[in-house]
Amino acid sequence: MRNVVLVSGLIYTGISLALSAVFLVLTILGGYTWVARIGGAAWVFMLSMIILMPVVTPMVKKRAGG
Amino acid sequence: MTDKEASKATLSVGGMTCASCVAHVEGALKGVPGVKGAVVNLATGKASVDYDPARASILDMKKAVDEIGYEVVLNTASLRVTGMTCASCVANIQKAVGELPGVAKVVVNLAAGTARVDYESDVTPLAEIKKTIQALGYGAEEQMEGQAALDREKEAREREVKRQRNNLIMSGTLGMLVMIGMLQPYWFFPNFVPAILHNKLVMFVLTTPIVFGPGRQFFINSWNGLKRGLTDMNLLYATGIGAAYLIAVINTFWPDAGFGGEGVTFYEAAALLTAFIILGRYLEAVTRGRTSEAIRRLMKLQPKTARVLRDGQEMEIPAEEVQIDDLLLVRPGESIPVDGIVLEGYSSVDQSMITGESIPVEKKTGDEVIGGTINKTGAFRFRATRVGKDTALAQIIKLVEDAQTTKAPIQRIADKVAGHFILGVHALALIVFLFWFFVGYNLWFIPESRLILTPYTLSEMGVFGFALLISVAVLVISCPCAVGLATPSAIMAGSGKGAEHGILFKGAEAIENTAKLQAVIFDKTGTLTWGEPSVTDVLALGDLPEDKVLLMAAVAEKNSEHPLGEAIVHGARDRGLKLADAESFNAIPGHGVEAAFEGHNILLGNRKLMAERNIALEGQMAEAERLEHEGKTAMFVAVDGKFAGIVAVADTLKETSSLAVRALNNMGIQVVMITGDNRRTAEAIARQVGIDRVLAEVLPEDKASEVKKLQAEGLKVAMVGDGINDAPALAQADVGIAIGSGTDVAKETGEVILVKDDLMDVVAALQIGRQTLRLIKQNLFWAFGYNTLAIPLGAGLLYPFFAQMVSPELAALLMATSSLSVTLNTLRMRGYIPQIRRPGRAAPVPVSVSAEPVASQRGA
Repeated sequence: MRNVVLVSGLIYTGISLALSAVFLVLTILGGYTWVARIGGAAWVFMLSMIILMPVVTPMVKKRAGG
Repeated sequence: MTDKEASKATLSVGGMTCASCVAHVEGALKGVPGVKGAVVNLATGKASVDYDPARASILDMKKAVDEIGYEVVLNTASLRVTGMTCASCVANIQKAVGELPGVAKVVVNLAAGTARVDYESDVTPLAEIKKTIQALGYGAEEQMEGQAALDREKEAREREVKRQRNNLIMSGTLGMLVMIGMLQPYWFFPNFVPAILHNKLVMFVLTTPIVFGPGRQFFINSWNGLKRGLTDMNLLYATGIGAAYLIAVINTFWPDAGFGGEGVTFYEAAALLTAFIILGRYLEAVTRGRTSEAIRRLMKLQPKTARVLRDGQEMEIPAEEVQIDDLLLVRPGESIPVDGIVLEGYSSVDQSMITGESIPVEKKTGDEVIGGTINKTGAFRFRATRVGKDTALAQIIKLVEDAQTTKAPIQRIADKVAGHFILGVHALALIVFLFWFFVGYNLWFIPESRLILTPYTLSEMGVFGFALLISVAVLVISCPCAVGLATPSAIMAGSGKGAEHGILFKGAEAIENTAKLQAVIFDKTGTLTWGEPSVTDVLALGDLPEDKVLLMAAVAEKNSEHPLGEAIVHGARDRGLKLADAESFNAIPGHGVEAAFEGHNILLGNRKLMAERNIALEGQMAEAERLEHEGKTAMFVAVDGKFAGIVAVADTLKETSSLAVRALNNMGIQVVMITGDNRRTAEAIARQVGIDRVLAEVLPEDKASEVKKLQAEGLKVAMVGDGINDAPALAQADVGIAIGSGTDVAKETGEVILVKDDLMDVVAALQIGRQTLRLIKQNLFWAFGYNTLAIPLGAGLLYPFFAQMVSPELAALLMATSSLSVTLNTLRMRGYIPQIRRPGRAAPVPVSVSAEPVASQRGA
């Protein structure tokens, strides 16, 4: 069980961070202010985490046979 | 709970407000090792759990649910424990009781001699707890449980209403001040609102207690859920309120941070968003309690005390302590405490609360009385036959409660949609944010634009603030609270309404299926007819008068046990004829009987018997055939070798049969009659009752396959019959309707149980089912319709065209309105009366006798 939490945590946090990074890169290319970049990346990270947590956790649990 | 591999428990869960709470709690329960499945009903606040008691305990489940911000409400019993002498007694009792599977907590107090046990009665009944203590050598007695449970439920509901009311008062009052402060520089407000109220720091001071006071619940609950990978409505609110508050704080203390500056503080959004969400919750808490009024009304019927005669002395004891075979006294105006049989006295009893029958029923010696009904006129004494959980009232309450914890098929779809909705909404909020951030802002942003119903412009707002605002509005406006309430609240109202009329639906599926019925099959004997043959015609066709013909037939049959013979004897007695014993009696199998009486030889039987004894029937056959055509059984009477007349016997139609059939036909229902009778007889009866389609000569064991054949035609079929004899056919039908079960409702097969023996209740059941389904559809329309319309508005669809945007607080108000519209729509069911039961409808027209030749070889 503890493994499942850890593995799934790593997965959804990793994906969320990746999405935020993509957002950041796009905003840098687009010439946005730093507030918009950081604020936006934080918001993207938060929403991504919320979306991915309930999706990833059961998937990992299922694969682990739990 | 005998099956240790798979036990089932029903838990009361408090604090749920919407569909995602259902998914949330279900998720938490399913996450407990050993739990195989969990179904939660929002409206009843109950969770039905399938689990392995070896691996999961009630305490585990309670912990899992409590941890995510809800509360498992367990039964609490206060026991008086006698015989304890020391601390080890306490430890022993605590250990033994604590190990029972349904016990979550036990606290034994040596000094007070009490034990307080928190337990789930479905898993471990109180009796088992008492038995465990008694087995250890102590005495154990409980206090009144039924009433305590009722009070506890009421207390919990009142506590929730009070909590949300306090939250509403606080958030509403402060929120109004924040709103006024925000509007201070505009319109006429500068004239009477002090400028200090517009100060950002003052607004910060006013808003912070709202967000961290009443709004705290959203953050805590959503965090608890997220830890377990679960999302719910609280998350929508928390992200909405949190984002608005955070921007406001940043713009107050760090105005140059680039989030729109001092001109764009969302204090009023954070404050009013919280206030409106809590307004929605408060209204739901108030109205949701009302939808379950029917069950509470039933529970309130349970009398608290009983007047018992013990050892010749009259004493008043708690009704729960009445035992089977106790003698009880009931005076005018008193409630009857338990079920029983009248031994002495005469009265009329108002049974409307149980059977839906509006007219008081007369009770005399030998009649059955039902606990919870009210004695109107006389006093009587009766013997208790069913007590405690076995009384009709307790069984009905259990049935209705069970029905309300089930899910209708339509609800499963709604739940599934609502369960995925939260994720979808967050995904949508992300897409909307990205769209307005990268595309929309550059294309359409106008600095002079405003939020709908707000005075200030968005001029100072940057791309992030603007995109975030729309994203938050989407989160708040999309909340599917109303979707979660739509079906269960209607099911509760429908099952409660059924119980009011003596119609018990065994589950939500039964209500939905009843609403969709296309054909109703009536069993004939005992359903359309009374099931007891009686004399319908006496024809004097010889020298003897009519009464003499009947008397001779009755004397011959006096000792008979055959149903036709009994009918003739009853018929004669009903006419006041005195029946003496026959001097001799001889049954002639397959033909009839022969008897000697006062020197006369009597023959009673069919044609064959008359032919064998050379009795001339010429000229009388037309009469016999006419009777048979009407579905009656003609029995020939001959006295001293001469034909004397015909006695016709038939089953009689119930008074309401034709009226019910007509009403069903008018509702577009195909009505079918099924019987074992020969086709001619069956058709004769069907004609009288108004049924076109007859399934005749069907053996009892073949009734189920006949139901199947109708289903194969694509029809949704109900079978109406006797819950015991017609059990296979009732089980095969889409809806089995057991009629006239009386008070022993628990034993009945079928999804719908009619307490009264009245076919009009079949019509009423269909009408209640249809009304409930109509209500569900309307509720779902309001709920989904709202979301369908509101989401594009929240996502900024209007902005490119009108430069108008929905503010988060307006989104919250719209969301609360949607939930309110659903609950108010459901409350309409409170005043609903099935069409067939509305005053002013024609009373059932008594139907002339019709018939059934009871399967016999004696008939002509």
